[in-house]
Amino acid sequence: MKKKLALVVAPLLALTMLVGCGGNKATTQKGDSTNQAQSADTATAQTGSDVLVFGQGSEPRGLDPAFVDDGESSKVIVNIYEGLLAYAKDSTELEPCLAESWEVSEDGLSYTFKLREGVKFHDGTDFNAEAVKINIDRQLPPLRQEDMPYASFVFADVKDVEVVDTYSVKINLTKKNTAFLANLAMSLAAPIVSPAALEASGGNVNESPVGTGPYKFVEWNPSEDIVLTRNDEYWREPAKTKNIVFKFIPDNSARIVALKNGDVDMIDGIDSTGVAQIEADGNKLYNVAGMNINYMAYNTTRAPFDNVAVRTALTKAINVPELVKALYGDYAELATSILPSFMPGFSEEIKQIAYDAEAAKSELAAAGFNQPIKMIVYNNPRPYNARNKALAESIQSYWSKVGVEVVIEDYDWTTYKDKVIAGDYDVCFYGWIGDNGDPDNFLNLLCDQNAAMNVARLNDETLKEMITEGTSTEKGPERDALYTKAEQYIAELGVWVPISHANSLSAYSPAVQNYSYHPTGNIFFREMYK
Amino acid sequence: MSEAQMNENKQGKLEKPESEIKQMWSALIQNKAAVVGMVIIGFLIFIALFGKWLMPYDPNYADLSVNKQPPSVAHWFGTDEQGRDIFSRVIDGTRVSLVVGLTAVSFALCIGTVLGAIAGYKGGKIDTFIMRLMDIMMSIPNILLAITFMAALGRGIDKAVIAIGLVTTPEYARIVRGSIMAIKDSEYVQAAKVIGNSDTKIIFKHILPNVLSPIIVRATLGISTAVLETAALGFLGLGVQPPYAEWGDMLGRARVFIFEAPYMLIFPGIAITLTVMAFNLLGDGLRDAFDPKARS
Amino acid sequence: MIKYIIKRLLLLIPVLLGVSIIIFAIMRVFSPDPAGIVLGQHATEEKMVEWRAANGLDQPVVTQYVEYMKGVFKGDFGTSYYSKKPVAKEIFSRFPATLELAFCAIIIASVFGMSLGVLSAVKKNSWIDNMSMVLSLVGVSMPIFWLGILLIIFFSGTLGWLPAQGRIETLLRPENVTGFYLIDSLIKGNMESFSSAVRHLVLPSIALAMYSMAIIARMTRSTMLETLSQDYIRTARAKGIVERKVIRKHALSNALIPIVTVIGIQLGSLMGGAVLTETVFAWPGIGKYTVEAIMKSDFPIVQGVVLLVAFIFVMMNLVVDIIYAFLDPRIKYS
Repeated sequence: MKKKLALVVAPLLALTMLVGCGGNKATTQKGDSTNQAQSADTATAQTGSDVLVFGQGSEPRGLDPAFVDDGESSKVIVNIYEGLLAYAKDSTELEPCLAESWEVSEDGLSYTFKLREGVKFHDGTDFNAEAVKINIDRQLPPLRQEDMPYASFVFADVKDVEVVDTYSVKINLTKKNTAFLANLAMSLAAPIVSPAALEASGGNVNESPVGTGPYKFVEWNPSEDIVLTRNDEYWREPAKTKNIVFKFIPDNSARIVALKNGDVDMIDGIDSTGVAQIEADGNKLYNVAGMNINYMAYNTTRAPFDNVAVRTALTKAINVPELVKALYGDYAELATSILPSFMPGFSEEIKQIAYDAEAAKSELAAAGFNQPIKMIVYNNPRPYNARNKALAESIQSYWSKVGVEVVIEDYDWTTYKDKVIAGDYDVCFYGWIGDNGDPDNFLNLLCDQNAAMNVARLNDETLKEMITEGTSTEKGPERDALYTKAEQYIAELGVWVPISHANSLSAYSPAVQNYSYHPTGNIFFREMYK
Repeated sequence: MSEAQMNENKQGKLEKPESEIKQMWSALIQNKAAVVGMVIIGFLIFIALFGKWLMPYDPNYADLSVNKQPPSVAHWFGTDEQGRDIFSRVIDGTRVSLVVGLTAVSFALCIGTVLGAIAGYKGGKIDTFIMRLMDIMMSIPNILLAITFMAALGRGIDKAVIAIGLVTTPEYARIVRGSIMAIKDSEYVQAAKVIGNSDTKIIFKHILPNVLSPIIVRATLGISTAVLETAALGFLGLGVQPPYAEWGDMLGRARVFIFEAPYMLIFPGIAITLTVMAFNLLGDGLRDAFDPKARS
Repeated sequence: MIKYIIKRLLLLIPVLLGVSIIIFAIMRVFSPDPAGIVLGQHATEEKMVEWRAANGLDQPVVTQYVEYMKGVFKGDFGTSYYSKKPVAKEIFSRFPATLELAFCAIIIASVFGMSLGVLSAVKKNSWIDNMSMVLSLVGVSMPIFWLGILLIIFFSGTLGWLPAQGRIETLLRPENVTGFYLIDSLIKGNMESFSSAVRHLVLPSIALAMYSMAIIARMTRSTMLETLSQDYIRTARAKGIVERKVIRKHALSNALIPIVTVIGIQLGSLMGGAVLTETVFAWPGIGKYTVEAIMKSDFPIVQGVVLLVAFIFVMMNLVVDIIYAFLDPRIKYS
C-alpha cells in the first residue's frame, strides 16, 4: 500500500515543486526554513536531557486533588503533591510519606500520624499538622463542595481532625474502615495542598497547584501542555530530570508518531492497534497487568432485565473470550471476575456464564424475550477500554446473530455519565481503575447508592451486607474469603458481564532510564532521566 | 462556486423549453468531462440499486475471528475491526451517500426555491426579511452550523439529511431569487399577470421553468457538497447508527488503525472522492451546456 | 466611500443579532440540559435546580437571550460551563492558532492556485493545463479530513519527516507576544522555535489549503482565458510586447478582481474547514475546541465562537468589496 501511495503522491509533489519554481517569495522562504528545521532538530537532540516529555490522551480537568476525578489529572498531581502515605514503586503496598509513622487506636476509630518535620511547600510555607487539618476539613461537611468527586469516598468515615501538636495530627472515624490507610495514599482527594495557596486562590488550586512533591508547577497551556520544573528543596533526593512536560495528544496514532519522531519521550493510552508500530519504531513497551475492570451491565430496574433468566440467556450469546482477543489482542486479560487476578480476594474457582449461542436462542424464546435493546456507550477511549464503541458494536452483532436487535447510542464521556445518571438504558458499559489496591474499592461501587457508580442500579441487600462485612474485617485470609464469596454471588446474579482487565500499557523511548508506570495508572518522574 | 453564480446570473432569457433541452443535451454530451461524470454517476447508481447482489458478504455481518485482515482474494478490500467485509461495506455505503446527497439537496431545493421565489417575486419587506435571514445563515460556516444542528437534534442519518439540507438552503434561495428578479418584469410575465393568473401560478408555471438551468447546475454541485458534508459528519461520529455502513463513518472508525491497517483508510476515501468528483464534473458540464456563450 | 463602509458596518449589527438568535435557539431549545453534564456524577436534583437558577437557565428563553445580549454589549460573553473560565478568554487564547493556520493556508492556496491557474491559461490544453485541472478537480472533491489522514500516513508515518500533531515542540514555544508562533519566535530571534513552528504548520496548512487552492486555480484559469482573448491584449501583442510582460502587466492585473473576490470568500470559508483540519491534526485552535464544546453542550462557548466566526465572515466580505473598489475604479458605491 505504501508503494502505491508513493506513486500517487510523487507526481503531485513534482508538480508542486515545478510551480513553486515560478519564483515567488513565499515558496523560497519556505524552502529555507525547512533546512533550518532539520538543523534545529539536531540541536534539540543534544540539549534534550534536562527535559522529559510525556504524551497523554487528554487534558486534565484540573490540578487540585480535591476537585478532579480523572486519570489525566492524577498523573500530573502525583508529581506535584504528596499524601500522608504513599504506595510502593510498583504495587499498592503502603509506605510512609509525609507521615513518618502512625498509630491506630484499639477500637480502630482514631489514627494518630507523626508528621515529617522540615518539609516545605513549593511556596516556601511549612508543612505541618495544621496543613493536614485544613486539607481534610475542606473536604468534610460543611465545607465539602458538590464538585469534590472523591471527598466522600476517601474521607468516607472521617468524623474530624485534631491537631495534637505542630507535627502530630489525629483523625477520628465514625466507624471502622479497613481501607482508610490505603485511601490516604490515593492520588485524588488525599494529597496535601499548601494552605497558603488555597487561601490565595479562593479554595481551589486547579490552575495554581502548590504541593510538597518533587516537581513544581510552571505553566499550563490550554489544549497543549503542562510544564513542571524540579523542586530543588525537596525533602528527599531531588528529581533527576529538571523539567517535565505533559503534552496532550488526543489521537492514539498521533501519539505513537510523536514518540517515533522524538517529540515525546513516553506515552500512555496505547491499545493493541499501535503496539506493532511502537516496536517497529524501536521504542519500548511497558506492559503490565492492570488494576482495572471493563464490564457491561444490565439495568436491573427495567423489565425484563430484572429477570436473571433473561440476563443469563443474553450473556450466553456473547463470546467474550473471542471478543477480547479480537478487540484487545494480547493487551488485555479476559476478565473471569470483577477483581483482577493479582488482587486479594481473587479466585480461579469463579466462573462466568459460558458462551453458547444455541442455548441463548432457545432460552430467550422460552423467556418470551422479544424487544430491541437500548445500549449506551461512551465514545472516548478509557484506560480500561480503549476500544469503547467497537466493544458495543461487537456485542450488538453477537446479539443480532440470536435475533436480538440493539440500538446503540454513544456519547462523549462527560455526557455519558449524565446519561447513566438519567437511567434510560437497558445495557451500558463501565469500568474503573483501582485507586488503592483494596478489593473494597473494586466491589463496593457495585452496590453503591449512587447510580453513577452502580450502573446496573442493583439494590441487593445480600450483596450490601457482604461488602459492609468486608470493610470492617481486618486484612487477611478471612477478609479475602469474604470477597471471593461476594464474587461468587455476583457471578450468579448475572447482572455484570466482566469483559477484560486492560494491561497497563505505556511506551517509552529506549533513552529513558528507570521507567515505570504504576498499577494505579500514575507515573512518577522523580527517578527517571535520559 | 462563485464562478457558477456569475455565469448563472447571465441567464434568464426566454426560450421554448423543448428545443432548449435538446440543445443542452447535445452540448452536454460533447463535453468530455460531463460525460465522464455521467458515466461515473451511472455506475454509482447501478451499484446503489443492485449492490445487494454484488456484495460478496452481508456488509453488517461481523465475524470477529477474521477481523483486521488486509486485502485478500476472500476480502478484496480487507476486513474491519469487527471482521466485516470492507468491500461490501463500501458498496453498501454508496446507497447511503447517494440517498443522503439527493434527499438533502431536494430538501434544500424545495425550501430554498419557495423562499427565493417569494422573496424575488414579492420584493419589498418580505424580500428583505427572507434574504437577511439567508445572509445570516450563510455567515456561519456550513459544517459548523451542521454540527450544531446535529448536536441539538441528536445523531442519525435522517437528522444529518435535515441538518445538511437546512444549512444549504440559502444558496438555492439566492439563486432562485436572482433569476426571478431578472425576468419578473419581462413582457411574458406581465402578460401572464394581465390575463389574471394567480401569483402562485405565475411563479410555478411561468417563472420557475424558465429559471431552471441555474437551479439544476447548483443542485448538481450541491449533491457533491452534501456528500462531502455527510462524510464529514460521519467522520466526527455524528452519522449513521451502527452497524450500518457510511463512508465518512468508516474513515472515522478506521483512523486509529493508521499504522496497523492503513488499507482501511484508503477505499472509503476513494469512494467519497470519486462520488464528489462525478457530481462536480457533471455540474461543471451542465453549467457550460446551459451557458449559450460557451455553447457557440 | 467612507459613507459606504459605515453603512456596511451598521448592517453588521442585524446580521450578528440574527446569528446570535439562531444559535441561541438551536442550543437552548433543542439541546439537552447541561446541568447534569456540568455538575458531574455526584449531582443531586436539588443541586441541578440550584445550578440552573444560578446560570439563568430556569428563565424563559427570551429572558435568557436578553440577559446574554446585555452581557455581550458589555463585552461579557459568559463563562464556559466546563472550564468555568470567561468565554472571551477561552476563545482568544486559542484564536491565534486558528488564524495562523488559516493565513498560511490562504497564502499557499493563493500562491499555488494562481500560479497553476495562470500556467494553465497560458498553456491552454497542454499537459500542464490538463494536470493542473485534474489536480484542482481532485482538490475540490477530496474530503479535507481524508487528505489530512493521507498526509499524516505518508509524511509523518512512512517518511517521518514532519510532525502529525500540535503547533510546536513544547520547550521551543516562544514567549507570548502576538500569539502567532511564527511572529513571536522571529521577534525573539529564536530560529529553532521558528523552524519548529513551520514544520508543524506544513501538513495542516496544505490540507486546509487544498480546497481553496483548487477553487482559486480554476477561477484564475477561466478569468485569465477570458482576458487573454480581449482586444487590448491582442493589441498589446500586436505592438510586439514580450509575451511574459503581456501576461503579467496586462492580463493578470485585469483578471485580478474576480480572483481577489474568490480569495476573500475562501478566507471566510477556511474557518469552516479549520474545524475538520484542527480535529485531524490536533491543532489547538478554536475549530477543534468548538467541536469539543458542541459535543459537551458548552453553550456559552459555542455561542461565542459562532458569533466570532460570523463576524469574521461578514468583515471579510466587506474587505473584499473595498479591495474591489480600489482595484476597479469603475465600481461606484452610493
